[in-house]
Amino acid sequence: MEDKFRDKPQKSQSDGDSKWLDAHSDPLAALYSFTQCMTLADLHGDGEHKLVIADLGTGAYNMKLKVYKGTSLMSENTIIDLPTGVVTFLMDTDEPRTPAIAVASGSYIYIYKNIRPYFKFTLPPLPVNATEKDIWDQVREDKIDIKTVKELLDGIRSEVTESGLTTRTQRFLMLAPGDVEEFVSQHKHSPLKRQTVITCLDTLRKSMADDDAVSCLVLGSENREIYVLDPEAFTVLSMLQIPSVPVFLSVSGLFDVEFRIIAACRDGNLYTVKRDTTVVKPSAELNTQPVGMVRINKNVVVGCMDQTLRCYTTKGKKLWTVQTPAPITTIELMDHQRHGFKAVLVALTNCQVHLYKDKYLVNVITTDSVITGMKFGRYGREDSTLIMINKGGGLLIKILKRTAQFEEGAMVAGPPPAQALKLNVPKKTKLFVDQTMRERESSVVMHRMFQHDLYRLRLNTAKSYVSSLESSLNPISSSLSEPVKLSAQVQGMGPSFRMNIQLTNTSKSTPSRNWFLSFQYSEAIYKLEKYYIPVSILLPGLTYSFETRIECLTDKGISDQIKVMLIKEDSTIPVITAVISMPVSEGQELA
Amino acid sequence: MDPESASISSSNGPGLASAPSAPPSQPVIKKAPELPLIERRNWLIHLHYVRREYDACKALIREQLAETHSMCEYALYVQGLIMRGEGQVQESLEVFQTCSLINPKNPDYLKQIGRSLFLLARHKSASEIYSEALKLDDSDWKTHHNQGICWMYLKELGKAKESFKKALHLHRNEKSFVMLGKVFLQENDLNMAIDVYRRAVEYSSENPELLTALGLLYMKVESYQKAFEHLGNALTYEPTNFEAILAAGSIMQMHRDHDVALTKYRIAAAHAPESVPLWNNIGMCFFGKKKYVAAISCLKRANYLAPFEWKILYNLGLVHLTMQQYASSFHFLSAAINLRPRMSQLYMLLAIALTHLEDPENAKQAYEQAVEFDQTDPAIPLNYCVFCYNNDLRPLAVKQLTSFEQRLNAMRQKNSMAQIDKELLEVAAKIWRALQVGDSSSAESTKSPFVDTQLSAVASQTQTPPKDPATDAESPRQPAAVSPQSNEMAAVDNAPSPPVNDPAILDKAEEARQRATMRQALLSGD
Repeated sequence: MEDKFRDKPQKSQSDGDSKWLDAHSDPLAALYSFTQCMTLADLHGDGEHKLVIADLGTGAYNMKLKVYKGTSLMSENTIIDLPTGVVTFLMDTDEPRTPAIAVASGSYIYIYKNIRPYFKFTLPPLPVNATEKDIWDQVREDKIDIKTVKELLDGIRSEVTESGLTTRTQRFLMLAPGDVEEFVSQHKHSPLKRQTVITCLDTLRKSMADDDAVSCLVLGSENREIYVLDPEAFTVLSMLQIPSVPVFLSVSGLFDVEFRIIAACRDGNLYTVKRDTTVVKPSAELNTQPVGMVRINKNVVVGCMDQTLRCYTTKGKKLWTVQTPAPITTIELMDHQRHGFKAVLVALTNCQVHLYKDKYLVNVITTDSVITGMKFGRYGREDSTLIMINKGGGLLIKILKRTAQFEEGAMVAGPPPAQALKLNVPKKTKLFVDQTMRERESSVVMHRMFQHDLYRLRLNTAKSYVSSLESSLNPISSSLSEPVKLSAQVQGMGPSFRMNIQLTNTSKSTPSRNWFLSFQYSEAIYKLEKYYIPVSILLPGLTYSFETRIECLTDKGISDQIKVMLIKEDSTIPVITAVISMPVSEGQELA
Repeated sequence: MDPESASISSSNGPGLASAPSAPPSQPVIKKAPELPLIERRNWLIHLHYVRREYDACKALIREQLAETHSMCEYALYVQGLIMRGEGQVQESLEVFQTCSLINPKNPDYLKQIGRSLFLLARHKSASEIYSEALKLDDSDWKTHHNQGICWMYLKELGKAKESFKKALHLHRNEKSFVMLGKVFLQENDLNMAIDVYRRAVEYSSENPELLTALGLLYMKVESYQKAFEHLGNALTYEPTNFEAILAAGSIMQMHRDHDVALTKYRIAAAHAPESVPLWNNIGMCFFGKKKYVAAISCLKRANYLAPFEWKILYNLGLVHLTMQQYASSFHFLSAAINLRPRMSQLYMLLAIALTHLEDPENAKQAYEQAVEFDQTDPAIPLNYCVFCYNNDLRPLAVKQLTSFEQRLNAMRQKNSMAQIDKELLEVAAKIWRALQVGDSSSAESTKSPFVDTQLSAVASQTQTPPKDPATDAESPRQPAAVSPQSNEMAAVDNAPSPPVNDPAILDKAEEARQRATMRQALLSGD
């Protein structure tokens, strides 16, 4: 038999990871799928394993069941609704031993044999509220007015809540008044059903533990139930209510002997269901949402939304927790039977897939895009193949080298590496040492000198404060009789500037009259357009603007201060003064 | 294989698609299109949500809500969770309220409303909502726990305790233990808090955070042995736990085990290279090892990072005093005094600096202040006594010496195990002799040796004082603790988080903050 798949392996190695061979990569596969919608099986009993992927298409239409053989797509079947999960299982003891494919979708399970549609199983309908049924019965016989129907159904809704109603009632209540008639006439003759949605799917061997033994289907529903289905008659063998909606299932054991189903639920708890369980209690509280769950021997490993990978015993005791460097997107079991090696593959949002053996990271695969679905197992004739689907829809297939060995427990407890690092103590220069020596020798003199200078500084500060108070060198008038505020801005790059001066009379009621603005500046550097601005009146509360042009006369790149003074006409001391540091003229005068 | 006849479609795949949803058992003449279930895409929404593929999730929710006229509970619920995770708390509140209108019997929605209200700091309304939720479902410890946190913020400590105890009764969990411990701490009931943490540690013996918290509490009540034990355990489980390293290091420093402390600090330095208490402690380690230049370097870095931390200034003053850089020492000490004007040890050091700067008048004043502010530390009157002796103030010297004796005795009575520095006793004996024997002629000869002993007495005194920073530790903690509002704000900032475990995240943020302040208080004074 032609085996393209085996001939292909390219020797190129991805990102320094020498344990895996790149077998195939199809970035344009356009797959929208998840770990639970992928499976590997020998569909034709010819010893060559195929890859089965339920593709969600665009998420609204174009849903397909795809079967890959080697590097090519072998067949495609359309699925009507979004596929929730795919498993392969043996439903009978016929030869050749070819497994059937089960695709969960909506409230149905579609069974395919030889990749051909074979059977459709419908979840048993849920009980319908008696009054609700009654109302619709009356509708069918046209005994009741539609308006009354609406009112009655509304009443039931407030009683049993939205989720307790049939879809027909829910839709009916959503309708705009104009569409009601048509809806009723269209639907009144079909039987009233209340259905639920399958949320997860798995298999459970029926009576024998062999690899090719007949298996039952296990499924969880939106109505918080777990069903076990008989593989031949498709009847419900067992049904159990659990407290929350199951998201992931982990199944072990034999249905006829003893089995254990662990369900990770939307309330962040793990629930365990056994053969004789009647009331389900949480076996472990995650306190966060599970992102994936796999079983390794007797333990379950759960990837959580808070970037942790946790291991619990089946009894719910936490064994260990590992923090992952990035949020987890999905996890998958790597069961390398020949080496007896079991580990967990964890896909992260940083485009890496980490391989954890127990709590130790043993291998990292780097990919180009975030991985959303993974499957490890036998594909073609190669025992250890890793199939990955990335966010962009690309399909990646890697083969584990036969010589690859993963070192277990490479981490040895010991002091963290940081302990060996030297402390970054700031260095001191020779100058520092010299200064120290000098201080030691003459600390008394230094101290006295410092104190002396400090007093001088304080004295000077006080002096200039007093003098500024005396000569009104501050922009806010301190006199109580004429409170005025002055602010000035300079605009422009130079050589010509404009100065805006704003005056505000801050008194409550007294207007000020007969003032003027004057300027003090160096005539060698600046020329002012107006050096005298009369201010006839300042009414309280208003802001007055005055402006003048200033020419910078020098091109030497120097600047000076200009003092703006507000002076009373009959006085020689300014009321207030603003000192403005002019910017350096940056512009060139136009020649 | 009995149902075969009913539903086999013998054509290939597309055939199955072409005869879609007709229920096989129904002999339909005029068949109605099957109505899509409202909850049919819940699982996909959930899957995208847990993978944090929020964009895909939001698009899906939009589609789903448009299709169901916003009647799909679960889509709304996840929308609320995403909104809250992205910081739109108010909007998330409205969404959850819609959920609760659609299905008033689901306590989950009430819990999420409570959570959003809590994040909006509307603790009272949140607590009321939690009560409602409890009416629907009394068995959820998380609701009790969250309500307890609300009570805590409302300062209803009694009710808070009750809620946490209920939560613990329903489910023993670390978070409720931690919060209960915090309530006791708010009541200043250290012993009960320790008790609670001890039970928590018994329940979860490998949680480094709990062990550290317990260790710090033991440090607060000064049982250093137990504290060290727990901190050591914490470090076994998590060798890089910053708080535990600092606390354990400080205890090692108390026992003058500077080298070990330094190796531990190396780990911490890699973790938080700009931590103020860390550099302060490293500096004091070097000081203990008599590597003064390194000590000054580290302390100056600490001072650069936290210029208003008086303890660093105190330490800098002390180190410079030892280095005989009296002028610099004076500056650091006076800066420290400006920040903490009632700390007697600071005045004492200042007085010593001033003595060396030949300013006896101010030195005497500083001593007077020091003696006035502190009534227990025997070193102060002793140093004062030496000073008086050197400055020929004999009667005052005798008075201070008696005061020293009294304080020493008081200390011994209070705690017979108290270690009294040998150097102190030696100096005391010397000065005693000098005062007894000494007349003015012999004073001349004894003068110079005393200048030395004086210094050494001081230095040794200040090297030891794990005690005085510890007792004084009470006050610097307050500035941080007094502003619970800012803490709360920060908590809200930290809030965007996955839904189920949010109380923990909130708590942690706050706890870390509190612990940080506590650590500073406990450690930085060495």
